[in-house]
Amino acid sequence: MIKTEELTKIFRTDEVETTALNKVTMEINKGDFVAVMGPSGCGKSTLLNIVGLLDNPTSGGLFFEDLEVSKFRERQRTNLRKGNIGFVFQSFNLIDELTVYENVELPLLYMRVSSAERKQKVNAVLDRMKIAHRKKHFPQQLSGGQQQRVAISRAVVTNPKLILADEPTGNLDSANGEEVMNLLSELNKDGTTIVMVTHSPTDADKAHRIIHLFDGHIVTENIKHVL
Amino acid sequence: MKDLSIPVPHFGEKEVADIELRIGDEKIQYSFRVESFPWDVDDDLNIDGDEITRSLARIHRLKKAIESYDPEWELIQILTPDDNARFIQVLYRKRKKLARSS
Repeated sequence: MIKTEELTKIFRTDEVETTALNKVTMEINKGDFVAVMGPSGCGKSTLLNIVGLLDNPTSGGLFFEDLEVSKFRERQRTNLRKGNIGFVFQSFNLIDELTVYENVELPLLYMRVSSAERKQKVNAVLDRMKIAHRKKHFPQQLSGGQQQRVAISRAVVTNPKLILADEPTGNLDSANGEEVMNLLSELNKDGTTIVMVTHSPTDADKAHRIIHLFDGHIVTENIKHVL
Repeated sequence: MKDLSIPVPHFGEKEVADIELRIGDEKIQYSFRVESFPWDVDDDLNIDGDEITRSLARIHRLKKAIESYDPEWELIQILTPDDNARFIQVLYRKRKKLARSS
């Protein structure tokens, strides 16, 4: 589903040049649940942003379903993201001025989905995420766990092929964190490909494959197997 | 709270920390070990290059060390070395033997 070939990202300022990713080659197959681990500053979020078409690499290849996308312009990246990729962030990134319902509806509005279909899809996903009773509330009126459930609802309402999660439990207590991880596992079992950046070995245990990054390099990959 | 920090006294190389966790009636056993792999490339790689070359050499050697490690142990975390560190520490956990479903 996703393939990178010697993917490199260099951040340059007038004085400093930082190589965030250094010739990263990897493949993520349809239905995978992959965790990306590594110390702060090792390139995890940069990798997620590039795979999620939020940023372009400096060099190297990036393929989304066999389509070479590394040199896509902003508009092309936006069009490809719509309906294909959902994002879940550590800090939820909900819009405070919109209700739960309106936050979840937003990606469907961007995709010009009809009003009736939007209503059906938003209500269905809020029911599934067990947050429908809060649909008229604003994000600030919810607990962290509830906010993350709304964020996941927003990420999955378009039925994307890929979910990218950046420290999805980083701001949650253990009970809410476990609930969020269970939701991600359920989505994966239903066929959604998931790539998750995490510092937590406990969360990474839910993944089928763990990629360890260090100084912008893939140092090793753990594949869960039976001994 | 997802993680507990446990002080482990006299945890040396090659030693294994066996931890038994009981939560109610549930009992979970873990075994951890910390390995120190060489990180300073001056010692035997004869590297004369710039910092980028030295960094690549360090990563290459770390990859080799991890690849050749006992497969019964899974890598949990690569710890960030201090500046000028000669070794890099890597935390491993013994793989659980999963039951095969018939």
